[in-house]
Amino acid sequence: MELFDAEILGIIGLTLRMTLLSTAISAIIGIPLGLWLDRANFAGKRLVVLINRTLMASPPVVVGLVVYLIFMRNGPLGFLRLLFTFEAMVIAQVLLITPIICGIVYVAAGRNAARIRMFAVTMGASKRQTRFLIIKELSNEIFFAVITGYGRAMSEVGAIMIVGGNIRYHTRTMTTTISLLRNRGEIEQAVVLGVVLMLIALTVQIIADFLRKRERRLDENF
Amino acid sequence: MRISNLQKNFDRFSLHIERLQLPRGEICGIIGANGCGKTTLMKLMAGILPPDTGQIDTEGLAPQDITMVLRKPYLMHDTVIRNLTYPLKLRGIKPDVELVEYYLELAGLQDDREIYAPGLSSGQQQKLALIRAMIFSPKLVLIDEAFSNLDMESTAAFEWLILERQRTETATYLICAHQLSHIQRLCGYVFFMHDGRIEAEGPTDEMLLRPKSQRLQKYLQYASLKEGAADGIPDS
Ligand SMILES: Nc1ncnc2c1ncn2[C@@H]1O[C@H](COP(=O)(O)OP(=O)(O)O)[C@@H](O)[C@H]1O
Ligand SMILES: [Mg+2]
Repeated sequence: MELFDAEILGIIGLTLRMTLLSTAISAIIGIPLGLWLDRANFAGKRLVVLINRTLMASPPVVVGLVVYLIFMRNGPLGFLRLLFTFEAMVIAQVLLITPIICGIVYVAAGRNAARIRMFAVTMGASKRQTRFLIIKELSNEIFFAVITGYGRAMSEVGAIMIVGGNIRYHTRTMTTTISLLRNRGEIEQAVVLGVVLMLIALTVQIIADFLRKRERRLDENF
Repeated sequence: MRISNLQKNFDRFSLHIERLQLPRGEICGIIGANGCGKTTLMKLMAGILPPDTGQIDTEGLAPQDITMVLRKPYLMHDTVIRNLTYPLKLRGIKPDVELVEYYLELAGLQDDREIYAPGLSSGQQQKLALIRAMIFSPKLVLIDEAFSNLDMESTAAFEWLILERQRTETATYLICAHQLSHIQRLCGYVFFMHDGRIEAEGPTDEMLLRPKSQRLQKYLQYASLKEGAADGIPDS
């Protein structure tokens, strides 16, 4: 394998598509779920929060195994024929990341949402305006949650290895490739790919900083 | 606003207001020791807290006509000017530049409009919260620990503003303040609370100069003793 041949570029592209898609889906599910969980009052709420906290730290291989069992040929959803596909990897990653985003948003809402809601009432805000205000006021925390989730998606290897199968041109991602190259003893290429992975992580953080710049400039008045 | 048989119970405190009528268009004061339930009562009136039982008749006021300035006001993660005009934005009203300028100057914030509001000093935050509560001309304004963080000049400015606004717009005010001098200068009517109840109420002069309730007499004694201090003692 050369340094940046078509195959490597394909792998990088696939990795970016997979992580962005799974993070987006997780954000769409996890953000409202975290906000809702903060407001909701039902019998098993504490248990739900405990389970979510556990899922936040769940080992990727276990999640991968569960998804594998569900989608394997004889599994409950085996007929969908999703095993060893891009979709299966995204599903596994969504299961890994959603609890992280939901958990961070839940904690942030618990700390501030009640006060924001009170303020909204004093300003005469409607229900819709209040919901919008809460999201806007928590946007820094929500942003942090999404970035953390994306970090997990980028770094994770266990789950996508199991459900994706690390199939060449098909489900081979950066992390699974590094793992494969190391097994083959092709350390040099593994390191190169590792560096590229780190550069992508750095780029994500720089973009994050750029998007947050306005807020930060305001913060400097403290 | 008319209240009857209002109850709110916390673990170690219960508030019970049998009857309360806020005289319309009047500046009313509310006094009482720390923890007697002043803030709780005001939050119930503002619709921030739901009552356990009882009715609050707003006498035709919509929720959008009622506002409350909390002791530690919430300021949005945004600039001073965006905080100030937020209630106007909610109502789809285009801010009147002159009016905005007038309020900013009154609060001494005319040079700080682009500053990050949560970074202001506590006194500046309170002033911003006060003008933000006034700028949309609400009909009922509840102010908790009104001047606790303000210097004397700002206090005078806001006392003047409240008197002026009440005269021209006939809004109703309910003001909690620990310093009796504020109550004396501003309020025409005073409620004295004790242990979750209204212990006494009446026109200000009658309440402060010829108190009938013994508890009120005692409270006034302490209150006038610490009157020399620049600030009242805020509730916890
Ligand atoms: N959310 C709450 N939960 C439990 N207790 C509360 C709550 N809010 C207020 N209290 C209690 O109610 C009592 C009255 O509080 P408050 O209305 O703030 O008094 P004041 O404003 O007159 O000092 C206090 O003993 C306080 O501890
Ligand atoms: Mg209080």
